[in-house]
Amino acid sequence: MRYVALVLAILTGLVVLVGYFVPALAPLRDMLLTWSIILAGTATLVGVFNLILVHGTKVTKREKGSIYSALLLLCLFAAFIFGLALGPDDPNIRLLVDAVIVPVEATLMALLAVTLLYASIRLLRRRANVMSVVFILTAVLMLFASATLPFGEVGPLNDFLRPWFQHVLALGGARGILIGVALGTLTTGLRVLFGADRPYGGK
Amino acid sequence: MISLDLISGILAFFFSLMILSYLIGDNPLFRIAVYIFVGVSAGYVAAVAFWQAIWPDLIQPLIYGTTLQRALLAIPLVLSVLLLMKISPQLTRLGTPSMAILVGIGSAVAIGGAVTGTLFPQISATINAFDLSKVASPIDAIVNGGLILVGVVTTLAYFHFSAGTTAEGSVKRFGLIEIIAFVGGIFVAITLGVLFAGVYSAALTALIERLHFFGTFFGLGN
Repeated sequence: MRYVALVLAILTGLVVLVGYFVPALAPLRDMLLTWSIILAGTATLVGVFNLILVHGTKVTKREKGSIYSALLLLCLFAAFIFGLALGPDDPNIRLLVDAVIVPVEATLMALLAVTLLYASIRLLRRRANVMSVVFILTAVLMLFASATLPFGEVGPLNDFLRPWFQHVLALGGARGILIGVALGTLTTGLRVLFGADRPYGGK
Repeated sequence: MISLDLISGILAFFFSLMILSYLIGDNPLFRIAVYIFVGVSAGYVAAVAFWQAIWPDLIQPLIYGTTLQRALLAIPLVLSVLLLMKISPQLTRLGTPSMAILVGIGSAVAIGGAVTGTLFPQISATINAFDLSKVASPIDAIVNGGLILVGVVTTLAYFHFSAGTTAEGSVKRFGLIEIIAFVGGIFVAITLGVLFAGVYSAALTALIERLHFFGTFFGLGN
């Protein structure tokens, strides 16, 4: 099974990769991509089933906090059954999304305003080095430059310093980070395609 | 009769309040809201996965497709069934080939995306910063383009972790790399500071929007 998985990973990966450069392989690449969409959908279901198993076990063993797990399972089954019966674009399902998912996400985002402020104060108290000071100063400068202040905008801050920080200094750093991430992705992908890394279960 | 929109609004109000209660510390109301949120989201995501991936790409063509389509779809059907075996600890090994295909195709797509979507565009944009035909003055191109180039190179050096052992036995990067990495660290700190300010602005906007929602719920303002 180990070698079957290895051969399948390398073969399908190479066909998709070569399919980008060889037009004759494009139909095969598209077919494999459609298969991967189906498998990704099934993997999502497996993930949800796993969530059900974890919380189901908590409920049956009456572990601490099992009442919350029971509530989670109840809501999960209700949303899944209604979503399956009506479809995700049905107005009643949209209502469920507007009543639960959107307000909770928006409020969690709002909570971030408090937790981020707290975290930045802790950062200065715990690790007051050059990087932390530059980080906090830049963040404060950017916030002041973009905020509507009681005495109006500070001209040079808004017209020159903010665009220069965003479009020159931060752009250079962001580009370096992006290129680094891309190089990391490339290396990890190649390791999988060469069989050096087998995150799907092979040794 | 109470309209569905009113029920939705009342639920949204209570969920927002329950989540905001976290400001006084972790409490049962916050936990209830979070568990309901995770349950509803997971159920919704599962329904979306079925209707937007499994139904149109697998089940529908299997029912209404041509014989050739059905024959070809037998393979992902079998792979999907094998992947579902991952749920059972005893049968989890059967799902490994499906996972291998998913990982193999995912890696190829990630490589293609990284090369054509990030590496080439970002490198060419760094080079184009020196393009004299696209800037107001040559000084701008040299100063700003140079600073961007220095930022890119030093940031990459910051994430270079090859190191040697010193006489005292400690592990340290080579002298020149250490200096370049320090400059890179400053660029990374500025970048993260700018990103932090953006995220903080978005979070403040969300907080104001929620407070405005509470206001309109009680009929204050519009």
